[in-house]
Amino acid sequence: MEKEVNVIKLDEEFMKEFWEELEAMGMPVKELRECIQCGRCAGTCPMALAGLEYFIKRIVHASMLGLKEIFLDDSSVWGCQSCNRCVEVCPMDIKPYELIQAIRRVCFREYAMPSNTIDGLRNYYERGHAVIVKGFEERRKKVGLPEMPPTVIGNEEMRKKFQEVMKQTALAEVAPFPLD
Amino acid sequence: MKRVGLFLGCNIPLRRPDIEYSMRYLLKELGVEVVDLEGATCCPAFGVMPSVDLVGWCVASGWNMAIAEGKGLEVMVTGCGSCYGSLNEARYHMEKHPEIKEKVNEILGSVGMRYEGKVKVYNIYNYIYDFIGLEELKKAVRYSLNGLVCGVQVGCHNLWPSKAYPANDENTFQPKRLREICEALGGVAPWYSMMTDCCGMGALGSLARDKSWSLFKRKASKMIEEINPEVFVTGCSSCLLRFDNDQALMRKEGVIDFEVPAVHVAQLVALALGAEPEKAVGLAEVPVDKVVEKIRGGK
Repeated sequence: MEKEVNVIKLDEEFMKEFWEELEAMGMPVKELRECIQCGRCAGTCPMALAGLEYFIKRIVHASMLGLKEIFLDDSSVWGCQSCNRCVEVCPMDIKPYELIQAIRRVCFREYAMPSNTIDGLRNYYERGHAVIVKGFEERRKKVGLPEMPPTVIGNEEMRKKFQEVMKQTALAEVAPFPLD
Repeated sequence: MKRVGLFLGCNIPLRRPDIEYSMRYLLKELGVEVVDLEGATCCPAFGVMPSVDLVGWCVASGWNMAIAEGKGLEVMVTGCGSCYGSLNEARYHMEKHPEIKEKVNEILGSVGMRYEGKVKVYNIYNYIYDFIGLEELKKAVRYSLNGLVCGVQVGCHNLWPSKAYPANDENTFQPKRLREICEALGGVAPWYSMMTDCCGMGALGSLARDKSWSLFKRKASKMIEEINPEVFVTGCSSCLLRFDNDQALMRKEGVIDFEVPAVHVAQLVALALGAEPEKAVGLAEVPVDKVVEKIRGGK
C-alpha cells in the first residue's frame, strides 16, 4: 500500500496568497523578507522559553514560506505576550510582533482563534471591558471606592456611543457574534 | 497644580481596585489632581481589537485618548502594562501613518469626538520619576520601608517597544527606575539575573496555563535564590495578578512551595505615604501582614 503524504505546494502563487493577506493586515512582506533568521528574537521570546512549538523565529520563517495552514492549525500565535522584546532586539528591524498581529488578523477572518478571544471581544463590545471578573462591586466597596468605576461599564450613554463607533470598524464584518 | 487623567483599564478597577485606591491616594498626596475619564473602555487588550484590525485598534485606543483630550488633559496615567503598551502603540501607529489617524477621526467624528494626538500616556512609576522626582518623593514619605528587601518585576510592556514610549529606563534590559523608587521609599532593591524575564501572565497564561506558570516559577525561584526578597514589587497590574493571585493558586495546587507577598509599586508608594493598609493592599491573596508591619512598625 502506498504511503499517504501531505504535500504543501511551495510555489510562488501559494506564497503570494498569504503574503497579500498579511500586507492587507498591516505587515509589509518586503520588510519581512529581510529576516536573516539570526535567532535574536527567539533568544528573548517568552513563547520559546515556555516551550510553545511555534515561537517567534519559527513564525517568521513559516510566514516567509507562505505556510498559512500552520497558523490555522497551531494556536501558538495566540500565546504571544505582545511583549515586543523581538521588536526591540531585531537587527533587521522587521518588527516580528507586528507580524504576529497580522497573522492573528488573517486567522480571525477564517474564524481560527481561541474561544477566550471571542469571549473577551464580546465583553469588550457589550460592556466596554475585555476582562470582567464577577464580584467587582464588592471588591471596590471593600477598599472604599464607589461600586461602579467611572468607565463605560456604568455609563449607558457612553456605552451606546462606543458601540456606534465600534460598528464602523472591521468588527462589523468579522465579529463572531451579533452586534445588536 | 499638576493634572492627570487616570486611565483604569479592566483588571485594576474590576479585579484589583486596591491598586486604583493606591493610585488615587498617592497622586493626591503628591499634589496631583486626578481627573476621571468617564466612559473610558478597555485599552483595548492585545487579544481583542489589535488582533482583529489595525485601524479598529487605533479607533478603540483613540476613543480613550480623545476622552482625556476632551478634558484638556496633557497626561494620562495607568498602572497596567498592557494599557500602557496598547495605548502608546496605537498612538505610535497613528503618528507614523496620518492616514490611519484620519480614518480614526472620521469614525470618532460621527459621535462628536476627536483625537488630536496631544495627550501622552505614562505608567505610574515613570510619571512619579519624571514629574515628581525622587527627591520630592522622599520628602513625602511618612512611613519608611525600613530596609525592606524588594524583588522588582518591571513588566514587559513598561519597557518595550521603547520607540513608542514617552519615558523609559536608559537601558531597558537593565532597568533601574523601579528599583530607585523602592529605594527612595527606604527599601533595598537589588539587581538579580532574571530581572527582565516575563512573568508569563497574559495571552500565554490563557493559552497554556502550565507552561506560563513555569515562567513565573523559574523567575520567582531565581529571585529567592539570589536576593531573597521580603516582597515582590511589580510595575504592572497584570504582573501583580501573576505574582500575587496566581502565586496563591500555585501554592494551593502544590506547584510551588514558597510564599512571598507581592504588591504593585503604586501600593508600595501609597503605604509609604500613609495610606490605610486595608484599602491600599486590602485584596492581596498572599498575606502581606509582615510587609505592612515592617513599614508601619518603623518610622
